Amino acid sequence: MRIPEPERDDVLLRRAAKGDEDAFTLLYRRHQAAMCRFALRMTGSAWAAEEIVQDVFMTLMRAPKKYDSSRGTLGGYLYGIARNRVMKHLERLPREVSLEQKNEDGSGAGIVLQDPATPAIWAETRERMKHVRAAVLDLPAEFREAVVLCELEELSYEEAAEAAGCPIGTIRSRLHRGRALLLAKLEMLRDVPRRASVAR
Amino acid sequence: MKCEEFDAIGLDAERDASLSELERAAAREHASACSRCAALQDSWQAARFELKGFADSTAAAETPARVEMRLRQEFRTQHGTMKTRRVAVIAAWALAAAAVLAAAVSWSNWRKSQQEEAARHLAAPQNSALAPAQNDGAKTNGANLQNGAQPGFANSASAETLVADNELRNFTLLPGAVATEEDDSAIVRVRMQRGALGALGLPVNEERAGEWIQVDLLVGDDGLPQAVRLPQQ
Repeated sequence: MRIPEPERDDVLLRRAAKGDEDAFTLLYRRHQAAMCRFALRMTGSAWAAEEIVQDVFMTLMRAPKKYDSSRGTLGGYLYGIARNRVMKHLERLPREVSLEQKNEDGSGAGIVLQDPATPAIWAETRERMKHVRAAVLDLPAEFREAVVLCELEELSYEEAAEAAGCPIGTIRSRLHRGRALLLAKLEMLRDVPRRASVAR
Repeated sequence: MKCEEFDAIGLDAERDASLSELERAAAREHASACSRCAALQDSWQAARFELKGFADSTAAAETPARVEMRLRQEFRTQHGTMKTRRVAVIAAWALAAAAVLAAAVSWSNWRKSQQEEAARHLAAPQNSALAPAQNDGAKTNGANLQNGAQPGFANSASAETLVADNELRNFTLLPGAVATEEDDSAIVRVRMQRGALGALGLPVNEERAGEWIQVDLLVGDDGLPQAVRLPQQ
């Protein structure tokens, strides 16, 4: 679908730079969810994701002229900023465990599913999601980024390369290695309960 | 296609837009022929399914409304500050421009008045010039003269006191006056009625007593006129 000229990202950003709050709000509403998902999937922490999204839009607000529409989409530019913030966050807290994801007994709350069919399926799916989430969050940051962008965000290789600020070949190789690690981790995580039940 | 190549590009061959149709076909063919790579592909498809579930479970993630409120508040603050700063800068420049303009107008007026004064000096008769050294004395003595040294004479003299040249030629000593040092006296040009010369002890033609004339007075350091001269008109 073609976006009308007055609502294009670069036009809105120019208006926002001149002090048009509505234009800035529209830009924020258009891109915040994607930034939030990316940050959440990369950090595994809703609190960190919130901080990162706020940081991304603060940066855009303070230096809107840094974005050059001839070099790519605003979405890609924002992904780039978000990526830098995520990397800083991960460097600062390499093994941060999100508190809000924990239950009182210390076990992970996992992902709340939208449509749990039966308690058994719900429990199984929840367990599986927990494994996937743990496997994704356990990947090294660069591989995780490629997996999140290409597999979870479903960006094309070109878009992922633009967001990560690297060539397509690099994205492809990171994705390849990320997948291999992810498969290994998932296999390992699947085997742990099995081994535990066999031992019992 | 070899297994290593399939590892690198085969798993995502259907999605990778940079691959040609030939490469995709080769990947499909390899997966159907190689059991190891077929197993790898199945394994990856299963993992992808799980990833999809994970992606779906976080797809509704959004930043809370408080972030938007914070950002909007910051936006208002930032642009309010910028606006204030812009107004302050404009005001400062306007003030500076006004100051420069005022200075330019003042300077121009001053220059104009200087030029006019210079032109007036050039146009004035030579004998209207006064040496600066005697100027103060002349004013002082003139003032003394008007302040009651000779009331009758001062009253009849015109308020206009002109400056005379400092040549002492053609002065007529007034009756009863004692000649003093030249350095102590000043020449004052006054405009008076001819009849006022009588007050200085000079003979006056009564018929022309009301006529206005210019007179140079040699005023001593006591403020009293000592000699008089009728300058050439």
